[in-house]
Amino acid sequence: MARRSLIPRSLAGRTLLVLLPGMAVVQGLGLAVHALDRGELQRLADGRDLGARTVAAYRAVTAGPPEGWPAAAAALDPAGGIRASVEALPFREGMDPAPLDTQRVIRPYLAWGTLPQPLRPREGLNIRTAGENNIVLSAHLPDDRWLVMRGGFPMAWPWASARFAWAWAGMTLGAAVLTLWAVRRLTAPVRLLGAAAERLGRDVNAPALAEDGPEEVAKAAAAFNTMAARIRRFVADRTFLLTAIGHDLRTPITRLRLRAEWMDDDEQRRRMVADLDELQAMVSATLAFGQDVAGSEPAVPLDIAALLRTVLDEAADAWPGAASRLTYAGPDQLQVQGRPVALKRALANLVSNAVAYGGDAQVALQPAGPRQPGTLVVRVEDSGPGIPPHELDRVFEPFHRLEGSRNRETGGIGLGLPITRNILRAHGGDVTLANRDCGGTRATVTLPG
Amino acid sequence: MLPVMEVAPHILLIDDDRETRDLLAQFLQKHGLRVTAARDGRDARRAWPAGAYHLVILDLMMPGESGLDLARWLRGVSDVPIVMLTAMGEETDRIIGLELGADDYVPKPFNPRELLARIRAVLRRTEARGPRAGAPARPLRFAGWTLDPTRRRLLNPAGAEAALTGGEFDMLSVLAARANQVLTRDMLMDLLRGRQAGPFDRAIDVAVSRLRRKLGGGEAEGNLIKTVRGGGYVLAAEVEQG
Repeated sequence: MARRSLIPRSLAGRTLLVLLPGMAVVQGLGLAVHALDRGELQRLADGRDLGARTVAAYRAVTAGPPEGWPAAAAALDPAGGIRASVEALPFREGMDPAPLDTQRVIRPYLAWGTLPQPLRPREGLNIRTAGENNIVLSAHLPDDRWLVMRGGFPMAWPWASARFAWAWAGMTLGAAVLTLWAVRRLTAPVRLLGAAAERLGRDVNAPALAEDGPEEVAKAAAAFNTMAARIRRFVADRTFLLTAIGHDLRTPITRLRLRAEWMDDDEQRRRMVADLDELQAMVSATLAFGQDVAGSEPAVPLDIAALLRTVLDEAADAWPGAASRLTYAGPDQLQVQGRPVALKRALANLVSNAVAYGGDAQVALQPAGPRQPGTLVVRVEDSGPGIPPHELDRVFEPFHRLEGSRNRETGGIGLGLPITRNILRAHGGDVTLANRDCGGTRATVTLPG
Repeated sequence: MLPVMEVAPHILLIDDDRETRDLLAQFLQKHGLRVTAARDGRDARRAWPAGAYHLVILDLMMPGESGLDLARWLRGVSDVPIVMLTAMGEETDRIIGLELGADDYVPKPFNPRELLARIRAVLRRTEARGPRAGAPARPLRFAGWTLDPTRRRLLNPAGAEAALTGGEFDMLSVLAARANQVLTRDMLMDLLRGRQAGPFDRAIDVAVSRLRRKLGGGEAEGNLIKTVRGGGYVLAAEVEQG
């Protein structure tokens, strides 16, 4: 679990996770190359400057008599942070020879050739470093003293500077913001697709997706719309088939019911009528299963508390023996939006199951509250034998029945719970079954409310 | 068994399925009704002038001219009570039929005995009330509640549908149609007979107590349905129609 939380859940977040470190490295490298180039250029300029100044200073200092050299050196304009002095030694302790590449930068600009031959330094030149960013140039004066030039000669370590850090952070942040924006924009159609699929699950007749935007997105939207149309056609075909069968069965059932009235044996007649009742209930359930998906009934405001009590009242009329074990707990009134006939069928199925299997039904209605905002909960509990755990979800499959229920007393053809789930899902809710700790089954219905 | 009439009531039965038609005709005849059967709209129009019918049984699902068109035509020429046979689950047909002024409906496949009970109830009602007014039943409003007989639904003062069982709905319809009139249990049973089966005496008290709970007010003063000493009930409210 903890590992999963490290990876962002959204596509934008994941893209950012991949892109951002890469971009940070690329930015850093780019900035470094740029800064190193600039540093190199700076060193070249500095080297030329230092070289030219050294030559000029040497010329200026040696123009006068030797005793005036130190003063002349000190009097030189220290522009560019270069100080000149006349000293006995070319360098002090601790000054190391400058790196070769530094020397290579400076030497070409020591244009001694511009000086007349007698004036040129007797010996070559000492180029040393004094500390991190300083350089010392010493030219041998004719009287064995040295003209020492000290100047700044910064090394190009661009990442050490604050500006580099700011530029790097700024560019990385900018890139991150742009990436996030772009990816969110690009993945917006994916979110739309997800929302559309969710809508389609509740309402087959949900409006089609707009087929515009980038080519791939438009294609996906078109494919989705085609799929939705196929599902619609499939549902319509199935509904038509079921309805046609149901309608066609009406006439023979009607005839049989009439024929039964002519049977002389009362017992046989009673049994035949019971068979016909069962047959009719099966047709009726099949028709309901077909029609609920089509959802032709309009949604209106309805009082779900009154609906639940009516369902219980009707159950009490149907099973007078269980009447005293049918209870309702909850508000006296609670208005929701729904399809009254369909919702009543859905809830009546749950109550009938509770009474049929458990001999009782405790219905509780819990309005939407802080613990479950926007969702009301209806619980239908019985004290029956419960349902084997592996069957808890399978009982929602059409025509699936529990082994014990394949007899007439509990009846049904295995469409009650599928119809209930279809209806509730079409309302944006759902139903689940669970076994109670104290025995029996609990059906939990959620509805937007 | 039958309401007191000079002759057996004459029924015009319109159904397109020959077998059903013959069987139903025989069944009704066995129970003391006179039956003329018609195959479709044309047949029915031809048979119409010949008999003074007390009631028409009309199958709404017929090929050719629809049952609804025929019902419209019947309403144009006569006040004869109509009992519709509707398709199970076809809510719209039933509502349109009732709006056209049908007196009752039985979903197909029907239980013949229930159909017979409905026919007798309608005949009894028409006989008691004389020729019908012809206008379809309109919603009744009382104390903020709206009772819509065509759609068989009750709307609470907030406009939300409050579910009622069939028995409760019939009971409330009867009480609202005779608001501020005391109805004894016997009168209620008489008015409701044919609409619901079962142990009726107790069912009336049960239905009233459930109605009270659903209409709100509990045992308090604000109770819309009042118990009258001596065993009767009254809906104490101003009822408006329309």
